[in-house]
Amino acid sequence: MSWVRDPLPWLGAAILVTVLLAAVLGPLSGYDVVADADPGRVFAAPSAAHWLGTDHLGRDVAWRLVIATGPLVGPGLLACGVGAALAIPLGTASGVLGGPVATAIRFAFTVVEGLPRFVLVLLVLAIYGHDGLILALVAGVAYAPTLGEAIHERLEGLRQADFILANRAHGVPETQLVLVHLLWGACRRLIARHLLGLFAFFLVLETTLSYLEFGVQQPWPSWGNMLAFDLDYADATPAALLAPALAIWLVLAATTWVRRGLSDRGHDA
Amino acid sequence: MFAGTLLGCLVAVHLLLIFAPGDAIDSLPNAEEVRPLLEAEWHLGQPAPIQVASYLGDVLTGDLRTSLVYRPGMPVADVIAGPTLRSLGVLFPALFLSILGGVALGAWTGGRRLSLARPLVWSVAIVPVFLIARLTIAWTNAATWSLMQSGAISRPGWFALPIEDHPLRWALAVTILAVGSGALSEVHAESESLFRRLRDAGYVQAARARGAPVWPHILRNLIPPLTTMISSRAAFFVGGLVILEKILLMNGIGAILWQSALERDYPLALGITLVTAAVVASLRLVGDVVRTAIDPRRREVA
Repeated sequence: MSWVRDPLPWLGAAILVTVLLAAVLGPLSGYDVVADADPGRVFAAPSAAHWLGTDHLGRDVAWRLVIATGPLVGPGLLACGVGAALAIPLGTASGVLGGPVATAIRFAFTVVEGLPRFVLVLLVLAIYGHDGLILALVAGVAYAPTLGEAIHERLEGLRQADFILANRAHGVPETQLVLVHLLWGACRRLIARHLLGLFAFFLVLETTLSYLEFGVQQPWPSWGNMLAFDLDYADATPAALLAPALAIWLVLAATTWVRRGLSDRGHDA
Repeated sequence: MFAGTLLGCLVAVHLLLIFAPGDAIDSLPNAEEVRPLLEAEWHLGQPAPIQVASYLGDVLTGDLRTSLVYRPGMPVADVIAGPTLRSLGVLFPALFLSILGGVALGAWTGGRRLSLARPLVWSVAIVPVFLIARLTIAWTNAATWSLMQSGAISRPGWFALPIEDHPLRWALAVTILAVGSGALSEVHAESESLFRRLRDAGYVQAARARGAPVWPHILRNLIPPLTTMISSRAAFFVGGLVILEKILLMNGIGAILWQSALERDYPLALGITLVTAAVVASLRLVGDVVRTAIDPRRREVA
């Protein structure tokens, strides 16, 4: 795929790498989220000292955007890990073995998918209390059926494919057949696409819950709680409102662009 | 499958509630005093499998039990009937708006070589529901306030959003849900590509040449993918509605679900879960029935 013909997937990948770097390097910057408040510079306009201005407590919006990538990236990657750890073995077993095993696994998928993801997540958080770890776990579990079902469908269609039968006839071990030829050969882009979808889902969850004051708590920043200042502030600068909103939009758009780039090749569309 | 999914959801959520730390009695002021009495009355002292079986038995006879804490002693069916209707009153119009709006946009942009509408609709559709609601409220209130300050208008009945219970708040909820659930964007993309494909199709040109209507061809091709899309988006609609009700301060089942889970009001949380799972499963079932009715290939497979 040429970056000249379709630059958006590459732009998306650059945005995601930037967010990852911000999450790793942000805590090393020495920025103090508590001490930064200054009533004397509430809603200051963007300037050289404060690139995106300040918020309703006089805190630097740009720095808070950077620090807020922390609660997003770590738990987001954990959610992807949980989703992959559940969906890949189950989807593979269901697609390769078929029969009653597939029926049982797919019924479990249907049950979890029968509940709207947000309802399931809200219930679990309300019952078990909120922290990043539980949110990551439940997000992974809630998304796993979507990935598992996609793997099942892909492998079910390949179970009797010529290249599989030929490998089997040549005595290729079953484990190698599943891991190399089926999962890596036929499903890697599909899995990568879905894991990006899971990361986007986690971003929406995390920002929504933080906006509703159920996620990351002040003074710690999240792109969600940065939007939750009182609507009555008449002197709020557009930057204070739009910067976190734009950050959320950019990362969601980036995941979509990269997913599109991953679906353009060969049979893995 | 329909009943199996609902029962599976109920069992899964019931187990989540049973194994949670604490119970409904903890939220009462004199919890330890009344614990022995209420544990027996609310079926909380029994082992988990018996609690689940006993609850499912009650549900199968149409008894959703009574609310424990949210409205103590009131049948769950009575507590959720009104809010469910209010929530469905937003959900179904949003569903229709996403279909009608998406098809209309698709018909409009499908005939053009370059269209800005599609990236524009997509750009808005990827924004989370809470963010669309937040920005819409902020900008609508700010614009109205400045008009009021300048004397151009007097205070409208709905001002300021979202406090007043006004039809504008309902209309906003419907529109935000149609766009924010991603359904409008998907219907638009699907119908746009269909209109482009059909424009050059031989059977459509033949129909045109003999003066026959083209719409039957369009509908027959459009309805199956639309029903698939609506079926797969059903859960997003319900999830988005739960968030939207909280932000727009609407008294639907989403708001009550939140409260009942916080208060460990098991029967109420389970009743609402049953309703949301039933709505999602029903939309999927309707999608399957419509697709089978329209597409003869599915009938042959069946």
